[in-house]
Amino acid sequence: MLNKIIDISLKYKLLILVLFTAISIFGFKAYKEIPIDAFPDITPKQVVIYTESPANSAEDIEKLITYPVESALSGVAGVKLIMSNSIFGLSYVSVFFDDSMDIYFLRQLVSERLASVNIPAGWGKPVLGPNTTGLGQVYWYQIYDKTGKYSLQQLKEMQKYIVTPLLKSVSGVEEVVGWGGDEKQYNVLIDTKKLQNFAITYGDVVTALQKSNQVAGGQYLEFNREQYLIRGAGLYKNLDDIRDTVIKSTKGQAVTIRDVAKVEVGSAPRFGAVSIDTKEAVMGMVLQRTATNAAKVVASVKAKIPTVNSALPKGVEIKTIYDRTDLTHKAVATMTEALVSGTVLVIIVLFLFLFELRSAFVVVISLPLSLLIAFLLMDYYDISANLMSLSGLAIAVGMIVDGAVVVVENSFRKLHHNPDAPRLQLMAESAKEVATPVTFAVLIIAAVFIPLLSLDGIAGKLYSPMAINIVFVMLASLFVALTIIPVLTFFLLKPSKSSENIVMNNIKKAYTPMLIFALSHAKSLLAGVTLIFIILAYILTLQGREFLPKLNEEALMFRVIAIPGTALSQSTETASEIEKYILKNYPEDIKSVLSMIGRSEKGETAQPNYMELLLTFKHDIKNPAPLTDKMSEDLKHKFKQVQFVPTQPIAMRIEELLEGVKAELAIKIYGDDQKILDNIAKNIQAKLSNVGGLSGMELESQLGQAQINIEPNYLALARYGISVDEVMDVIRYGIGEEAVTEKIEGIRRFGIVPKIKDAKKDIEAIKKITMRSKNGNLVALDQICDISVKQGPSFIKRENLSRYMVLSLSVKGRDIASFVADADKIIKSEVDMPNGYYISWAGDFKNMQEATQKLKVIIPITILIVVLLLYTAFNSVSKALLILINAPFGFIGGIIALLISGVYLSISAIIGFIAIFAIAILNGIVLVSFIDELREKFPNVGLKILLKDAALLRIRPVLMTAFAAFFGILPLLYSSGVGSEIQYPLAVVIAGGIISSTILTLLILPSAYLLLYKNEHFREENKIDPSQQKSALK
Amino acid sequence: MNKIFILSLWITASLMAVEIPTEHAKMRSFGESVALNSKVIQLSNAQQAVMSLVSGHIEKYYVGPGEKVEAGKKIALIESIMLSKMTADYISLKEQFIALDKNYKATKRLYDKGMTSMQELNLQSIQRNAMSAQISALKSQLETLGIRADSLKKASADYLLYAHSAGTVSALLQPLHSVIGEDTAIVSIVKDQAFYIESYLPLEYANVVKIGQKVVVTDGKKNIITHIAQILPELDEKTQRIVLLSSVDEKVDDLYINAFLPSTLYFNVDKEYVSVKKSALSFFNNEWAVFIPNKEAKQKENEIQYEPRVVKVITQDEQYIGVDGIEAGEEYVSDKSYYAKSMLLKSSLGDGD
Repeated sequence: MLNKIIDISLKYKLLILVLFTAISIFGFKAYKEIPIDAFPDITPKQVVIYTESPANSAEDIEKLITYPVESALSGVAGVKLIMSNSIFGLSYVSVFFDDSMDIYFLRQLVSERLASVNIPAGWGKPVLGPNTTGLGQVYWYQIYDKTGKYSLQQLKEMQKYIVTPLLKSVSGVEEVVGWGGDEKQYNVLIDTKKLQNFAITYGDVVTALQKSNQVAGGQYLEFNREQYLIRGAGLYKNLDDIRDTVIKSTKGQAVTIRDVAKVEVGSAPRFGAVSIDTKEAVMGMVLQRTATNAAKVVASVKAKIPTVNSALPKGVEIKTIYDRTDLTHKAVATMTEALVSGTVLVIIVLFLFLFELRSAFVVVISLPLSLLIAFLLMDYYDISANLMSLSGLAIAVGMIVDGAVVVVENSFRKLHHNPDAPRLQLMAESAKEVATPVTFAVLIIAAVFIPLLSLDGIAGKLYSPMAINIVFVMLASLFVALTIIPVLTFFLLKPSKSSENIVMNNIKKAYTPMLIFALSHAKSLLAGVTLIFIILAYILTLQGREFLPKLNEEALMFRVIAIPGTALSQSTETASEIEKYILKNYPEDIKSVLSMIGRSEKGETAQPNYMELLLTFKHDIKNPAPLTDKMSEDLKHKFKQVQFVPTQPIAMRIEELLEGVKAELAIKIYGDDQKILDNIAKNIQAKLSNVGGLSGMELESQLGQAQINIEPNYLALARYGISVDEVMDVIRYGIGEEAVTEKIEGIRRFGIVPKIKDAKKDIEAIKKITMRSKNGNLVALDQICDISVKQGPSFIKRENLSRYMVLSLSVKGRDIASFVADADKIIKSEVDMPNGYYISWAGDFKNMQEATQKLKVIIPITILIVVLLLYTAFNSVSKALLILINAPFGFIGGIIALLISGVYLSISAIIGFIAIFAIAILNGIVLVSFIDELREKFPNVGLKILLKDAALLRIRPVLMTAFAAFFGILPLLYSSGVGSEIQYPLAVVIAGGIISSTILTLLILPSAYLLLYKNEHFREENKIDPSQQKSALK
Repeated sequence: MNKIFILSLWITASLMAVEIPTEHAKMRSFGESVALNSKVIQLSNAQQAVMSLVSGHIEKYYVGPGEKVEAGKKIALIESIMLSKMTADYISLKEQFIALDKNYKATKRLYDKGMTSMQELNLQSIQRNAMSAQISALKSQLETLGIRADSLKKASADYLLYAHSAGTVSALLQPLHSVIGEDTAIVSIVKDQAFYIESYLPLEYANVVKIGQKVVVTDGKKNIITHIAQILPELDEKTQRIVLLSSVDEKVDDLYINAFLPSTLYFNVDKEYVSVKKSALSFFNNEWAVFIPNKEAKQKENEIQYEPRVVKVITQDEQYIGVDGIEAGEEYVSDKSYYAKSMLLKSSLGDGD
């Protein structure tokens, strides 16, 4: 088949040229058009259900909302995990599904199930969260008022009714979430003492408000052959309409709202705030829809901003706070740069080795062609150009040329020997000769990376685009090598006068004595290398591990956590002080500080004691780590009432996605009773405090929310003739400020709230709220209810229907895996766990563990596939194994490089080892196949001499592929842009591996060959039996 | 080097850290109060009698029946032998006192020079003081009758009666020139404004409310002070509350009968408790607590400088709470207790610093 391809290509030479011109054009177009992104989408398939229940406590929300929702969803097909968080005012349930399922189908399934959930009236309605990814917050903006004329309430109104609808209409925008400012509402401030004066009850007022604000349609009336529509327009139009609402009327005398209450514009209670540079502000976040491209969405949003600005009042405008595309562009630029400089380096290497312009040109042309084909494939399969997919190309740059090098070299050699042979035939022949080894080599590289696609979880999502792209580009290079390269050799190659060059000559001069030495000390050398490999492999197991190297986003955020139960006003004050402090103390670096306190309108599960600070730099800071460290230390000492955790925008979201735990490492403690969970957690804290490497522990304390418990006393209620229902209404509307009806102003809706005057002044005021029964009894709330202050949970987290608590740990100066091993041992032996309580490790570490488990299966499979391929190619198990021993040669360098650079063993590094495996095998194939070829040709020559000649003849292609691979990866090693740190461990391992693999291949492989085949060759030398001759290279 | 840097950082940082103010707990008297709803009413027989406090005979009536009077208007003139005796006594006692005082001062001078005995001086002093006491007793009696003793130059028998409140004279109760005894009603006046305040008090306050306690009614922006005159024996059936009746003494123009007004009843004005500021209170580990500076920890840099003290809230007013669990004079965190609590809870979270 391979021969056929070559024949057809050479037959339709011109067609092939045209085809590749077309490929280049379309490939370039694809390259320009491929959507770019910082990261591949790593969000698991997830549907979020949240139920807003504004005034209610975590405990009640768990009981009445979260649990019914969870249990309804637990049986849905494909559910992997259900997590929930019940906090004050919000139930948040997150359902994780199998990644293979369609998100729209899943949302449909979930909505169907939700329809059957029974939640008490007035407790909110479960809704699906926005269909976005975890990294969906692509664009943040501030509603910026230059004039200072507008109140926060007005700005919020603009956000909600002008900006949000406009931005939501942009394609790819799923949701626009507002944060900060306060929402307007109409307060009907009831003086409950006056209820006696007019002999009415609180319920009468509520009913009056609800009944008065109505519209109705009255069909139509025909008059003089025309139709007149009839409308009952009873909606409140202004505040006086509310004031004039009749509560009760006796003997023609009406009691109105005006008599018992003051009606005024107020603000709804809020759950979050935003502060920018010490001033409260209103901001919004644009969420991109799942499976859309961030850069495109942001671009469309930005295109819409002028329209939005023109719709806003004069002096108010949209000001960008955070733009994901900045990072995307930087990340893509880093990788593109690495790719381009890698390409250039490879080209230089090729010229140096070939020392002949024409052949070098033919080889070089295969690089862009393969890349362009890869871009076409990426475009076709909807793979975005991101940090990972582009790095796949960058890694492969050095290997792409391998096929072309072999084909060209062979043609060149043949041409050199038979300058007068018919050109077309010669070229076809020389290409066919190497077609099989080239194909196997490329297939082996592809085979090594394909199993990576089966990695699941975050690692899989992150690294599969890289693996796919390597496979794409390698297959493309094979296609190029077998089609256009023979055609180009036909057109371009010329027999050259002298094929030797100075570089090669010098290398050979140095190499020859070393080779001779190696061949004569074969046994001891092999033993030595094996020993070194074993020692290094052991050292590697001691090396620190981490899941993903940290991405440097060139940005700085802090998570700031205060004690549970902290009031929003206090947090806002703290935020403003922190902002002031940072702006004052870091004037050179920091332009602006944004604090997001509590939660936004939708889908966040933070409380007022939690805030996130985003710092905007004055100038590009390439490495914010030193600044981060200094500032953290500074802030910790200045603001002792809160905890600071430095992070970065994307890193933070990824941390949240990994398990709903916002830490690299965490212990989840499961069980029913929060108090016991709390005790276990504290116990673990105490026991772990001395474990080496622990730099901080953070208990997500679920207790600590002070509550004012109003418990109805049924006897007392009976005595005064008041129902529980009436009491709860007073709590819900009068204190809790739930709207009983809405004032509708055009499209805007504002709640009308029958608030009890001064009820929230202090605890005493709540106790003394007066209620009047229908028959006229007057009671204070504490006469009919037991009112007590107690400590309750501030939130309740559950996973698969079981409550749990999170203890986050941070480890410094030590690898997490060994820390976990130590800590786990201590917990198991020293911490008492009651029945039904257990712990599990979570966070980054868990992912690393899972990925490692998977790799333990993947790696043997990969090796097996490679052995099979080798066996197919050489038709000999011992040859296949001989080539396989090249792999440890590569690993030796990889491990040494890893140790020297001090890089932890991460998924990235492991993938580096996989790549090394492929490269080492490739080196082995080139040499072994050539030795076989020589042996076939000169069966009578001594094996040692044969080996020496083969090695000397093959040093050029071996060095050339090695140098190409090395220089191709080099830019990844030295780039410092955004995203470079993710690929750094990989580059370190590959670079080290290439060096050792090349040197050892050239020295040890011939020795190993000698040891294995000495006897066989000796037999052959004396008793020629062609049937025993083996060669893979036909 | 690093350590020096961090240390200097720490020092500057701690200088700028939030100031947590402390104060010393003090004994403080708490007036308790309860907010009530009150209704303005008028009682049907709001008649007031003007009484003579001394015996004598009625010399003259300044008013006649049906005549409108203001508070402070002259009603009648009574000639009283008793009064004439009292005033004469007062004048003569005052003269005697002057003489005694002179004697005393002269003796004092002699004593100062050592020319007379201590005993002599004491005797003089006792005599003088006895006289002074007699004078002030008499003076207060006279002043109750509306006679300004200090300006008295000669004995007088004239005793003037004035109206206590505005109203209409309904009857002259005694004939002119008739002889009257002590505590006799002379004239009856029907009050123009016989406003009373009916306040509805929750049953739980039954044992603290007493006649004479102050009820302040708020009418618009004005506070009207009233005192409880009667606690009705029957509960108000409708509201199930105790009804307090208090009279409005001062003249009020714009009270409307049957109007409901907010009011406050003050009671237990004289109880003293150890008090801390309300801003010191914090709900800590399921109990109310006040934070106390930890003297020992102050020496060490990284120790938490506060410890919680569980307290029981006994009573409170707008700014202070009376508590059990803290000694008078003890130092406590008077404001920003949140910060003290934060530090404590944060350290128990085990933040590695």
